[in-house]
Amino acid sequence: MKTPCISHWLLGMALILCSVHTRSLRRCLSSVDVHHIEQSFWGIRRALQTKDTFKNITILSSLKNLDSIKPVDVCCVTRHLLTFYRDRVFKDHQETSHKVMREISKIANLFLQMQNTLEQCQEKLQCGCSQEATNATRIVQDNYNQLEVSSAALKSLGELDIFLAWIGKNHRETSAA
Amino acid sequence: MLSRLLLLLTALASLSQGSRAHGTELPSPFSVWFEARFFEHILRWTHIPVQSESTYYEVALKKYGNTTWKDIHSCRKVQASSCDLTKFTLDLYRSRGYLARVRAVDNNKYSNWTVTETRFTVDEVILTVGSVTLEVTHDRVFGTIHPPRPQIVPAGDEYEQIFENFRKYMVSIRKIQEEKNTTMTVEQENFSLKVPREMGEFCIKVKPLVETRSNRAEWSEEQCLHLTEQYFTLTNLSILFTSILILCGALVCLALQHYIRRRPRKLPAVLVFEKPHDFLPVNPVCPETLNTVHILDLEAFRKVSPELRDSVLHGSTDSGFGSGKPSLQTEESQFLLPGSHLQAQGTLGKEELLELRDSCGDNTDSGICLQEPSLHSSMGPAWKQPFGFTSQGQEDNDINLIQSSPGQPKNTQSDSALDHVHILEPGVSEEKDQVTVTSQGYQKQTQWKEGAADPAGHVDKELSLTDDFDPKLRVCLQAELTWPPPALAKGYLKQESQGVTPAPAGTQSKQWSQLTEEWSLLGVVSCDDLSTEGWNFAPKLAPLDYGAAPGGLLDSFDSNLATLPLISSLQVEE
Repeated sequence: MKTPCISHWLLGMALILCSVHTRSLRRCLSSVDVHHIEQSFWGIRRALQTKDTFKNITILSSLKNLDSIKPVDVCCVTRHLLTFYRDRVFKDHQETSHKVMREISKIANLFLQMQNTLEQCQEKLQCGCSQEATNATRIVQDNYNQLEVSSAALKSLGELDIFLAWIGKNHRETSAA
Repeated sequence: MLSRLLLLLTALASLSQGSRAHGTELPSPFSVWFEARFFEHILRWTHIPVQSESTYYEVALKKYGNTTWKDIHSCRKVQASSCDLTKFTLDLYRSRGYLARVRAVDNNKYSNWTVTETRFTVDEVILTVGSVTLEVTHDRVFGTIHPPRPQIVPAGDEYEQIFENFRKYMVSIRKIQEEKNTTMTVEQENFSLKVPREMGEFCIKVKPLVETRSNRAEWSEEQCLHLTEQYFTLTNLSILFTSILILCGALVCLALQHYIRRRPRKLPAVLVFEKPHDFLPVNPVCPETLNTVHILDLEAFRKVSPELRDSVLHGSTDSGFGSGKPSLQTEESQFLLPGSHLQAQGTLGKEELLELRDSCGDNTDSGICLQEPSLHSSMGPAWKQPFGFTSQGQEDNDINLIQSSPGQPKNTQSDSALDHVHILEPGVSEEKDQVTVTSQGYQKQTQWKEGAADPAGHVDKELSLTDDFDPKLRVCLQAELTWPPPALAKGYLKQESQGVTPAPAGTQSKQWSQLTEEWSLLGVVSCDDLSTEGWNFAPKLAPLDYGAAPGGLLDSFDSNLATLPLISSLQVEE
């Protein structure tokens, strides 16, 4: 009789730890940082999206499928996407407008800050990637690879609002109420 | 071979031109965009430069990332430039966005599609407020912001749920006169502003915003308020009402006082002399005055002679008796004040009191007043003090009113400094040949306490005052003085005085004889039956002389004198 009780106790503790982990992760990225990126993106959104000629294709639209991602995978997916934008999108995009380029640079810097904050939270909490999380990030990269690099980068920058909305939803701080 | 290829290319070129002509015959709309507010998603486009009356536009919609466009047939309207796509984009706020395109169609001619430049997402929704309610209370303005509430909103997608956090509102206050705007940010739908009363007219408008979003927003309709000084507040009204009530009460009191003063005073119905109480102030002049009215013994009273009846004993304002004609003219009014009888008697009967009351309308005397009717009204004879007679020197607290008849020698008295005045004068007689004895002033009979044990001495004292008096009068006085002191002390006897000239000393005997002759009745206290002709108020008559001379005469008149009425003399028995 003691064994079932112990197992139940361990399971409960695991669930508690997972929830705490998730909440802690959610508190790593504040909504204020996301808002700053959104403000910078809103200024260049029209310029980026207008140039997008492949409106029938989406790179990050597969994230809609990630709405059902478990809270434990949010950290992994967030970390992978932040790395994707830093290593491929911002580097592959060629912008001629200085105003747009300035805003893109601002956004890139904010992405780096978010990545550093997230890595500090990961030192305290485990941020393992499940198979579902790995599959989701691979689809994004496959969509990016189907297009021309400049067009892909342009489309990826144009879909920053989707990525930021997903971050805000999954990493939103609990309200005071 | 080469010719076949050329023909094929020409055919292909003509076909493509034909198709382009079909698609490009009509120019495409220059731009297509969404103009959206909260669940009000309107697709707008520009008309083509050359359009006919039959030109209409086709609208298609698809979600971002999908490949299939959905035609919106409800938007096919002639010469339309917009279309409401709200019901086709209800999940806008939870999706990645929509794309829309529009083309012109005219007579089977189609233009190219024009696609929206950007993805239609929640970021393009213009934030608005549904309404603003303002309420002014005292010096504050309370506002309530109502978010938009379209009917098409699906359950769970209200404004507060879509924009759950970081909702804020900008409130702008504009003073009309100054055209100056003041903007403040509130974080809730309820807010209050403190506005000074002297601000006058001002307008308020509200614009929503979400702190974590970059959505555009629109100001609400301006609502103007006009603040004025609240003069008619509850406090002010209550103070005003209280002041009015107090003023009305004061006016009513003043009116009542004025009315009461103007009312003719009435004499007290009954002058009742009661035994003075301990707490009542005692007359300092006559502390032992007996203010009682003794009922007169009518049987013992002899009818007064006409002279006496006609004698005017006017009521006065003193506290003693005052005799008047009405009382003398009636039998009931004839009264006698014997010494022993009077002591046993109490107050006057009601009849006498009524008569007195009627005859003393203006008399403020607290005692019984026997007054002439003429004196009751203002038409009465004018009263004036006799020559040389002043009431100031008297300790008598009663008013001395002396009626002076024209043609009559005025009464002159020497010294009136005594406590009481001895002026016994009968009423005025209209007939000159009648001996009229009129007394002047009041006869105050309150100071017998000293003379009670020594009536003789008192007589002497009395006679000293009457130095100017006629011997007849002196005799009368002496007779009165020798009488046993009556039990009554009824105040004053006010007698009307005619001009009485004092008779010289040589005529004393003659006068005395006249006195005896006419002494057939109970003399009035004032000795009305005495002739006034022989009266002589010689001031220097020695009291002893007079005291001795009348003594013998008095002995003979004891029997008569005993029955003399004491109308003219009210002695205070101590």
